Amino acid sequence: MSRAPADVHQLDPRAFREEVHSFEFWFQSVTGYLAGTCFGQHEGIPDEPLEPAERERLVTVLCNYCVGETAALEGASGLIAIAPDRLSKVFLATQVADEGRHLEVLLNRLAQLGVAEPEQEIERRASRSLLQFKRRLLSLVAGRDWEAALLAQNVILEAMEFTVFQHHARGADPRTRDVLQGIVKDERRHIGFGENELGRRIQAAPHIRARLREVKNELDHLVLETFEETLRQLGLAASDRPELGRHYLETVARLGFE
Amino acid sequence: MMRDPLERKVDDAPRQRFLLEDTGFDEVPPKYRRFYRRWRGAGDVLAPNEVLCPVCKVVIRSTRELREGDRVYCMPCMSRLVVVRAADGTLEARVAY
Repeated sequence: MSRAPADVHQLDPRAFREEVHSFEFWFQSVTGYLAGTCFGQHEGIPDEPLEPAERERLVTVLCNYCVGETAALEGASGLIAIAPDRLSKVFLATQVADEGRHLEVLLNRLAQLGVAEPEQEIERRASRSLLQFKRRLLSLVAGRDWEAALLAQNVILEAMEFTVFQHHARGADPRTRDVLQGIVKDERRHIGFGENELGRRIQAAPHIRARLREVKNELDHLVLETFEETLRQLGLAASDRPELGRHYLETVARLGFE
Repeated sequence: MMRDPLERKVDDAPRQRFLLEDTGFDEVPPKYRRFYRRWRGAGDVLAPNEVLCPVCKVVIRSTRELREGDRVYCMPCMSRLVVVRAADGTLEARVAY
């Protein structure tokens, strides 16, 4: 990479896009917060004992996070083939690595909580709504619908995960918090990529907004229902829950979906 | 566009310069870290060289005082933004797709 300019905001827009979509940028970024961790946990993080009921709720929540991360892993890898340009393909390759890591660190956390057969446990505890969302996302990818699949994955799913993981991390046990905080740092890139890419596409072809609005209306309640349930499981006060929708609503409002 | 002469005087004044130091923000490569910091929540106050990214809620920092029309980049979420004046008179960033 070239030397940093005196002020990064003086970069040419094209040079900025090249830089932030590069594998090198991703590698140096994740090295900053993952170096020295093992399965997303820093050395010496205490293993705080959980009450049985609390552990049970956490296992259910983590199982559903695994469903979301698996959807994003399969979705992002499929999107590489239909991405319209090199920068998007390289970025999605880094997202695939992120999603694979998320799934792995969450499975490791389940193992630490004593879950012997995580795959079976995920199947048993998975939210029907989230599974339905995953099937629809993958059908959009298989149908080579770049904009709709990106909306479903990097806007609807990632925006809600971004908010829920942050909320959860605040009140979580130390190990779960460490894992979630690392995931949130990755999610910033994913939500930004989704919003900016879709924003550019809609700006260039405003007529696609109507079709995307239908996709949004079909899918967002599935994810919202799942994460509302997650927040209930986490014991978050009802008065704090509207914030879950707020970040998502702000995002879609910027894209012109009122 | 007609502008208030007093406002123009302020805008034409030399911009304050800022020496940026690393605040521990670790989500971008080391050479870019000083341009960003974490948002500390409702009690946080933005300096004249800072705006909040509306996409990912990271504070974006510049080496110079920010003014309306300036372009800034949020590297953590890869957004290009333009500084605008909000209804309450403060500066905020708007995404430029």
